[in-house]
Amino acid sequence: MNKKVTQKIAFTIFKLLGVLIVGILLWILGFIIFNGIGVINWEFLSTGPKDGMTGGGIFPAIVGTLCLMLGSIVFAFPLGIMSAIYTSEYAGSGWIVRFIRVMTNNLAGIPSIVFGLFGMALFVNTMGFGDSIIAGSMTLGLLVLPIIIRTTEEAIQAIPDSFRQASLALGASKLQTIRKVVLPMAFPNIITGLILSIGRVSGETAPILFTVAAYFLPKLPTSVFDQVMALPYHLYVVATSGTDVEKSRPIAYGTALVLIAIVLIMNLLANVLRRYLSNKVKKD
Amino acid sequence: MRKIRKIIEKIVEGILTLSGMATTLIILLIIVFLFKEGFGFFKSPVVEKGYEVCLNSSNTVDKLSSYQIKQIFDEDITNWKEVGGADAPITPYRFEYLFEQYDEADFGEEYKLLPAKIAEIIKADPNIIAFMPTKYVPQDLSIRTLPRENFGFVDFFFGKEWMPTATPTAQFGILPLILGTLLVSITAILIALPLGLGVAIYLSELASKRVRKILKPVIELLAGIPSVVYGFFGLVVLVPLVQDWFNLPVGETAFTGSLLLAIMALPTIITVAEDSMRNTPRAMREASLALGATQWQTIYKVIIPYAKSGISAAVVLGIGRAIGETMAVLMVTGNAAVMPTTLFEPIRSIPATIAAELGEAPSGGAHYEALFLLGCILFFLTLIISISAEVISKRHPQN
Amino acid sequence: MNKILGIIILGFLLPQLSLSQKIKGSDTVLPLSQKEAEVYMQKHPEATVTVTGGGSGVGIAALLEGTTDIAQSSRRIKFDEKNKLKNMDKEVVEVIVGYDALAVITHPSNPIKKLTREQLEGIFRGKIKNWKELGGEDLRIIPYSRETSSGTYEFFKESALRYKNYMNGIMSMPATGSVIQSISQTRGAIGYVGLAYVNPSVQAMELSFDGGKNYSNPLNTETSDVIYPIVRPLYFYYIQKEEAGIKPFLDYVLSDEGQQLVADLGFIKVK
Repeated sequence: MNKKVTQKIAFTIFKLLGVLIVGILLWILGFIIFNGIGVINWEFLSTGPKDGMTGGGIFPAIVGTLCLMLGSIVFAFPLGIMSAIYTSEYAGSGWIVRFIRVMTNNLAGIPSIVFGLFGMALFVNTMGFGDSIIAGSMTLGLLVLPIIIRTTEEAIQAIPDSFRQASLALGASKLQTIRKVVLPMAFPNIITGLILSIGRVSGETAPILFTVAAYFLPKLPTSVFDQVMALPYHLYVVATSGTDVEKSRPIAYGTALVLIAIVLIMNLLANVLRRYLSNKVKKD
Repeated sequence: MRKIRKIIEKIVEGILTLSGMATTLIILLIIVFLFKEGFGFFKSPVVEKGYEVCLNSSNTVDKLSSYQIKQIFDEDITNWKEVGGADAPITPYRFEYLFEQYDEADFGEEYKLLPAKIAEIIKADPNIIAFMPTKYVPQDLSIRTLPRENFGFVDFFFGKEWMPTATPTAQFGILPLILGTLLVSITAILIALPLGLGVAIYLSELASKRVRKILKPVIELLAGIPSVVYGFFGLVVLVPLVQDWFNLPVGETAFTGSLLLAIMALPTIITVAEDSMRNTPRAMREASLALGATQWQTIYKVIIPYAKSGISAAVVLGIGRAIGETMAVLMVTGNAAVMPTTLFEPIRSIPATIAAELGEAPSGGAHYEALFLLGCILFFLTLIISISAEVISKRHPQN
Repeated sequence: MNKILGIIILGFLLPQLSLSQKIKGSDTVLPLSQKEAEVYMQKHPEATVTVTGGGSGVGIAALLEGTTDIAQSSRRIKFDEKNKLKNMDKEVVEVIVGYDALAVITHPSNPIKKLTREQLEGIFRGKIKNWKELGGEDLRIIPYSRETSSGTYEFFKESALRYKNYMNGIMSMPATGSVIQSISQTRGAIGYVGLAYVNPSVQAMELSFDGGKNYSNPLNTETSDVIYPIVRPLYFYYIQKEEAGIKPFLDYVLSDEGQQLVADLGFIKVK
């Protein structure tokens, strides 16, 4: 066959595949949005479930998920940043740093259900937190730690060495250089990574099954030792159990839509912030 | 002043070093805890703790495997001959039958008369096999208890039945779970690979800047959709669809799971493969084009071979992601613990088993420990996968 | 690290709410407890009742560990569970809050409307594989079961299978809702669910436990003294010493109003 024709066929196939990917996304999003949008109203977002999960809203689950997002970041953010500073500024380029990178990658590859098992064994049982926000947040925190480390590392490494050298030449210490030069410049990308990992936390189900999630708890939490409802677990519950799956289907669509909306908003926020902040850093 | 600052710097450096070790430490902790909780399994007796299997002393059988005991009580083995005894029918007797035969009042205060009743029943029937709480097994010469045995490695890794709450002997054979997990994951990658590769080529070689600007976020979003949403979508849309398309008796099949996992693994494959294609040195492309090759020839003769290690890494990472996926698989594969024979039957994966059963398994019991062992297996499986991806992607491309 | 410590300390300082109680356990009892908790909290805004599922075994295990106040269970507490509690010097109290009939359901198009216990045993143990063997169409039987954690699983095993184990590799669904969903989509399917869950998308079988002499339909069950063979009590278990805290809620569940909720949900009242 003529090689031009072969090329044409191949390229057309690739183009179609590209279209297919967009199609799949639109299919899934469209399906959830189309079915879920009618359910979303103020009552749905601001009240608790009622009538055996076939009516009411998902407010407690939204609050629960927000608590877990916040909690896991409080736990993972400082640790992740410090770890990234160490590997990119202090550890040099010997075997230690290679070893740490491999370990971080390995941690990122561990399935979320294994984190759930670990969280249950360590935080819930051994440390005695019981099913609680704190146990769930720490478990989720471990899960996103490698993501935070990796994005922070990348952000820090993107800073040209000349800036560091200039700062050091002016008599600043290494720590001062990191605090006053490296971190502020890397900040936009660090924040972006952070927001993306928060988005990831919002959708995880397996790690919270045995560490925090409650089936029904319309009251809001008052301490970090309380259980909470959470959106992903709530979606799982209304999709598979309950007295009447058909009747609770709209709730499931609504919950799925809210979950996806959180992910979308986080993605958008990350992009907007990155653009805004990096402009600002440049101007300063 | 200077000194203090120096000391502070040293302290901060120490803290940073410590946190640099955090991920390593966490991995170690995970290993320690999974093993700590799981390893007791091989020290658990096959007959639940606190229970005993008793025979009439006249019976000559002195050893029964866990599987044989289960089959006897399920009346799948009905003659002592089949397990090396005399040619006589077996009478399985469960503790619960006592409460159906007698009134609770007959057993006296705090069940003091219970052992005597049990002795009476066992003595009366030489072919009986009785499942009783140890506490109430009578001390009587005419009654014999089977020697205690623990779960063995072979039963666990090569057993073909996963029935964690079967009585009197639970069956913890993980072979169907491992095969089920591998079947779904590998099929998923076989579906996703050609698609992902095509998109990766399109993105790295053909797409205009504007198209990339659309496709990149689309892929990011696909990666960002929570797995439980995928599971819900699969449950409501894919399950009935697969049932219809292939005219199957059930829609919850390994194939349904693979389809869903393929969609979920696409972003990983695309991103990693595209990165490695983009890394092909410009000089190589230009050399190829200058020699008169078409763009397509350049792609499959130069770029793809160059990016081979990256593509392999993408495949391995994709499998890793698929093996560990929990919620989506739990919701669409039917969770039947059978040895998989075709793609169009339900299967039960390791993560789904853990998610569905851990809540119920009383902590410290054999079931609980077996689930933690499954966690260990999953952990090492993904660890091996991550490391091999690492090794593969570091390999220098050959010319 | 300081932040983490801070959180831990903060958590200890915050007062634990005294009016809160946790209910944990059976998924079958879940809608009942959830509804009772929902209405109870409307009437007593100061109270907090957390309801969590997981299965009867989980609830009782949690009672053992002291992590729940009430264990909801769709099966009687097991002999050794009771012993364990006794050894810990905890006297456990059993309260029946309602009854549940297990309905055996099939796809609505299935022409077979009646089954005996022996046939059920054959089907769920994998000995009867085709509807043809029971006089129906030539169609593979696909039995759906629940996850092993559920009291429903145990209870059906006790009553319909006479304690024998299910067939190897039976389809096990994580929750009752998915059993109904799958059966309504699958022509050869059969499964068992709590009566409260039965809806028009599936059909409930008439059952006979006396070898085919008398058949009875679960949907005609109004009170607990019926001949339908698979009826079981639903239990709340709690530790006697902690009765005071639970009493108001328990009283509400057993009141006429609370029992009306039980009936509204499709369960059977205690009286």
